[in-house]
Amino acid sequence: MEDFLHSIQLLNYTVAAVALPLFAAFINFCLPVKSKWAGWVSTIAILLSCVLSARVFAGVWNNNPVHAQHVWFTVGQTEVMAGLLLNNLSVLLLLLVSLIALPVHIYSTAYMAHDDRRSRYFTYLSFFCFSMLALVVVDSLVLFYAFWELVGFSSYLLIGFWLTRNKAVQANKKAFIMNRIGDIGLLSAIIILFTQYHTFDIVQLFAQKGLVAQSVIKDGVWIAATGQMPAIWQYVACAGIFLAVAAKSAQFPLHTWLPDAMEGPTSVSALIHAATMVAAGVFLLGRVYPMFTGTELTILAVTGCFTAFMAATIALTQNDLKRILAYSTISQLGFMILAMGVGAYASSLFHLATHAFFKCLLFLVAGIVIHEMQHVKEENNLDIDAQDISLMGGLRKKLPITFIVAVIGSLALVGLPLTSGYLSKDGILIQAFEWSEGKSVLFKLIPVLALLTSWLTAFYVTRLMVKVFFGEFRLLKSYPNAKLHMHDGGLQYKLPIILLAVCCLFPLFSFNPFSYGHAWLFSGLTSLGNHEGESIYHTIIPVLVNIISVVVLYAAYVIYTKPNGFKFQQSGFLYRLSYNQWYLDAIYQRFVVKPVLRLCSATFWVDRNVIDGFLHLLTRISGYIAKLTAWTDEHIVDGFLHLMASIVQSIGNFARRFQNGKIQYYLYSMLVIVLVLFILKILI
Amino acid sequence: MNILTILLLVPVLFGLIIILTPSSLRASFKYITLLATLIQLGISIWMYLHFKTGAAYGGINHEDQYQFVQKLPWISLNLGSAGKMQIDYFIGVDGMSIALLVMTSLVMVIATLSSWEIKSNLKGFFLLFLLLDMAVIGVFCALDFFLFYLFYELMLLPLYFLIGMWGGARREYAAIKFFLYTLFGSVFMMLVMVGLYLSVTDPATGNHTFNIIQMMNPANYSAQSVFSIAGHQTILGMPARTVGFVVLFIAFAIKVPVVPLHTWLPDAHVEAPTPVSIILAGVLLKIGGYGIIRICLGIFPEVATTGAFWLGQLGVISILYGAFNALAQKDLKRMIAYSSVSHMGFVLLGIASQTAEGISGAMMQMVSHGFLSTMLFFLVGVLYNRVHDRGINHFRGLSTLMPKYTAFVMIAFFASLGLPGFSAFVAEAFTLAGTFRSSSVNGLVPYWMAVCGSLGILLSAAYFLWTLQRMFFGPESLKGGDVWKIALTDLNLREKLTLAPLAIIAIALGVMPSLVFEKINDSVLSLIQFLQLK
Repeated sequence: MEDFLHSIQLLNYTVAAVALPLFAAFINFCLPVKSKWAGWVSTIAILLSCVLSARVFAGVWNNNPVHAQHVWFTVGQTEVMAGLLLNNLSVLLLLLVSLIALPVHIYSTAYMAHDDRRSRYFTYLSFFCFSMLALVVVDSLVLFYAFWELVGFSSYLLIGFWLTRNKAVQANKKAFIMNRIGDIGLLSAIIILFTQYHTFDIVQLFAQKGLVAQSVIKDGVWIAATGQMPAIWQYVACAGIFLAVAAKSAQFPLHTWLPDAMEGPTSVSALIHAATMVAAGVFLLGRVYPMFTGTELTILAVTGCFTAFMAATIALTQNDLKRILAYSTISQLGFMILAMGVGAYASSLFHLATHAFFKCLLFLVAGIVIHEMQHVKEENNLDIDAQDISLMGGLRKKLPITFIVAVIGSLALVGLPLTSGYLSKDGILIQAFEWSEGKSVLFKLIPVLALLTSWLTAFYVTRLMVKVFFGEFRLLKSYPNAKLHMHDGGLQYKLPIILLAVCCLFPLFSFNPFSYGHAWLFSGLTSLGNHEGESIYHTIIPVLVNIISVVVLYAAYVIYTKPNGFKFQQSGFLYRLSYNQWYLDAIYQRFVVKPVLRLCSATFWVDRNVIDGFLHLLTRISGYIAKLTAWTDEHIVDGFLHLMASIVQSIGNFARRFQNGKIQYYLYSMLVIVLVLFILKILI
Repeated sequence: MNILTILLLVPVLFGLIIILTPSSLRASFKYITLLATLIQLGISIWMYLHFKTGAAYGGINHEDQYQFVQKLPWISLNLGSAGKMQIDYFIGVDGMSIALLVMTSLVMVIATLSSWEIKSNLKGFFLLFLLLDMAVIGVFCALDFFLFYLFYELMLLPLYFLIGMWGGARREYAAIKFFLYTLFGSVFMMLVMVGLYLSVTDPATGNHTFNIIQMMNPANYSAQSVFSIAGHQTILGMPARTVGFVVLFIAFAIKVPVVPLHTWLPDAHVEAPTPVSIILAGVLLKIGGYGIIRICLGIFPEVATTGAFWLGQLGVISILYGAFNALAQKDLKRMIAYSSVSHMGFVLLGIASQTAEGISGAMMQMVSHGFLSTMLFFLVGVLYNRVHDRGINHFRGLSTLMPKYTAFVMIAFFASLGLPGFSAFVAEAFTLAGTFRSSSVNGLVPYWMAVCGSLGILLSAAYFLWTLQRMFFGPESLKGGDVWKIALTDLNLREKLTLAPLAIIAIALGVMPSLVFEKINDSVLSLIQFLQLK
């Protein structure tokens, strides 16, 4: 009974935690566009959500999962349920999302303070929080899909928040459409699962001994307790999920929207496009993990690894501060997908959590830097790009606090010891090596590539840090007279970044800074994934990774701090490949967008000329037929009548002449008739 | 007096009032019409609330399960040895019709509110409008084929004049195209109707009958008749029942419209004045879908089953072809017209699947599209009224000039592209789910059709968002320069009051789909059962 009451209470808290941001969004929607209160309404809502989430987390973590549902509506004989599912995975994400959202909200109140459409911004932001929080706790695939798309929708609104900027509104369209590709993948997968198992319920489907786990493929037929269909559809369902993951979590080949999404306000990039929404793909994998076995997992591992590597190589050469961070996000998400692929389920989610903190922190730092650069730009009327790192430098003296937290965030991103990133990333690498053990050489490439990527990470992070915070302020070279009034900003800036920086250190996750196996978060999630085995990799990998990382770090530091030192060649094929982001945008434009548009014009041409042309032809033919019948009417039918009339008339005229009153004519006529009769008689 | 009959008589009565009102009071006509439609809306909401649900109210092929029924002998001719010709005034509703009736009544109110833009010959306009209103309501509740046909044809006349007299530049072309297209379908429909009449006898009286529900019972067909199931008669070497089905299907497919019978729609929409566009898209297209469910599936179920593949195929083609065409448009109204073709393709696909999910989805799609297309065309009308231009490339950055307008456009666009939380999402998702299930349940429609259909959802995002980006976002730039800038004022109160209920309904149906599903579910199940028994 007490248990029951306890779970009811938890459910109520969860509903409140989810609904509060929605309520805030509604209030902000009703407030005037420039209202000063908007920010605080949203912030208070998310603060309460955060507290409630923490309470729910405390109640559910490592306890029995709570699951409750209601009939939502009935279609035919199918009852579609709506409900909440609170297990370790969902409460972790619930807490994580609200915990990350809180500093971002505080930061936003200052960051967006001078915008003309503040209350819209906070409406969208709160709506996003609502969708994201709901996404992690719902128990049915239909609802999951609904919130999955709603987070995409709020991201659309926020990317295009400055809707008079052409780049921003193109970016949000691109983001939504590319996410839609994933969405129809997810929808197809849900429909396939529904057809096979007759339910949308996540617990029934994906529990440890759930429907999915019990189904088998035999002789090309996919058999479940509830029905069967050709095996190909199981692969299609997996492919659909994969598409969804790739689109939302920006994996190759659907990642190109994320760098463009940086057109939105930086606070949004921090929350949505770094910490929470983009991780939803990984969360989806976590939810439907039992669907993936064997080859499908290998595909995940390969994609994740390739994405991580590709994004890291791109990040090496970019000059836009936010774009570098965006590619770094893609790269780190690649690590998470890789981890899922090699069976490191817990490590993947662990990395999701740690990454959320340090990447959010780095974006907020970037926001401060850009904000200050923007000030300089406006104050001096300069024609510069405020996000270009080649114009920055030496900012550590002007923005000391920002610098310190940025260093902490960067070290966590590189994964050096004492940071949270070390715990989660090394876990992934170690398990990737263990996974490749006993497999062919090709499989061994995957962990090696991942290792290489983590060194690349060390390099581009150092490059970014050095270019922004060390050396001289390069802007002064081009504009020596520019006035510089730069500072860290008020409490609304400092508090969030300090808070997040603290969360990037090891004590939050584990009291043993060197072993991921001891992290509470890791052990709380291991039940679903693999078990920890002691192997040689546990010592070799961390040592190897970190020693070489430090070397790379130092090398990069030296290269970029010395103004006249070593310079990279900026013309080779590899440089261009990296600088142009592997030419993927151009390829998509040329081989997807243009052909589709051509196809559209073609179908419209068909519509105009073939279908309507056929109709017009019919009209013309019936016109001709009408003319023909009119002619027939006039000349043949009427002609015949006229002919008859004229024949009759001429006969009449002819016969009339016999009756002209002259006796001789009558006598002639009589004679002729008698003669004719006579002749006829002889002949017949 | 029967409530349905009152519903039918309201527009007639108010039409009479308009006739009797002198033209000097022409400003009052729109209010009279508005009052008529509001009364109608009130009645249909009352009916919706009092509509009983449960297995005993399935309707479809059970005459006693229909509600609000009225049946009166209407034309009764003694034909000597040929028996007695009996035509009934027979109306009633089941789940299928009630949902569409309520939708229609609301769309009519909105259409009236958008008639404020009509400035010429008001008496004629509102008379024809009310006549059309009556005919449309009639189609949804007629249960006698003759009566159905009468209402069906009666819709044509006012529409022809409404497009031809109050339309745009190429109105005559559009009106005649629309008229001929529809007439082409309905002329042959009459032949089938007569054939059915001669084949079916009412078991109670022994006379031939036009009763649609009697036509659904194979036992009522006399053995030697044309459309007898056991008789296997042929027309021109083809099975008679297949011919009958195809003819009726073509008639309704023109209305839906199904590719390749759709080309009247973009022209008619582009040329028609806003209220007529609204009625065309909101109500008329649904008559096609309703006709297919009630008449084609009801009377020729076994042909519908054997031909399910082709119906599904046409549905998929409509979805994709319409979407591609929408992407190619430069005129906003034409773009929306093609999007209607695409969205109505889902209706056909859902019907073809013959699963509960598919048919519920199709019905939901009809209701949802009724509201959403109304909203879309009203929004186009708002813009067109202000500057008399609709070219997508002629506008840019409207969001700064007309923020409220843009907000409603975004709601309408996102609802139409199937964003969860709006009605279209539920409709399309369940249509596709039903389509996919079909292979496992009854083997009618192959799996891949659902996958192809889902591509339509992707494309709809593409054309709506592209339009949104080009017309509403970005820096402001108008083809008409400052003149347009002054003309483009934001929404006024009447417009907001018109759009708000539509937006609210779209959200309400998306969040609580049971508002529709609860009422139609028994009929859907009854239809599925009927189709399985055949």
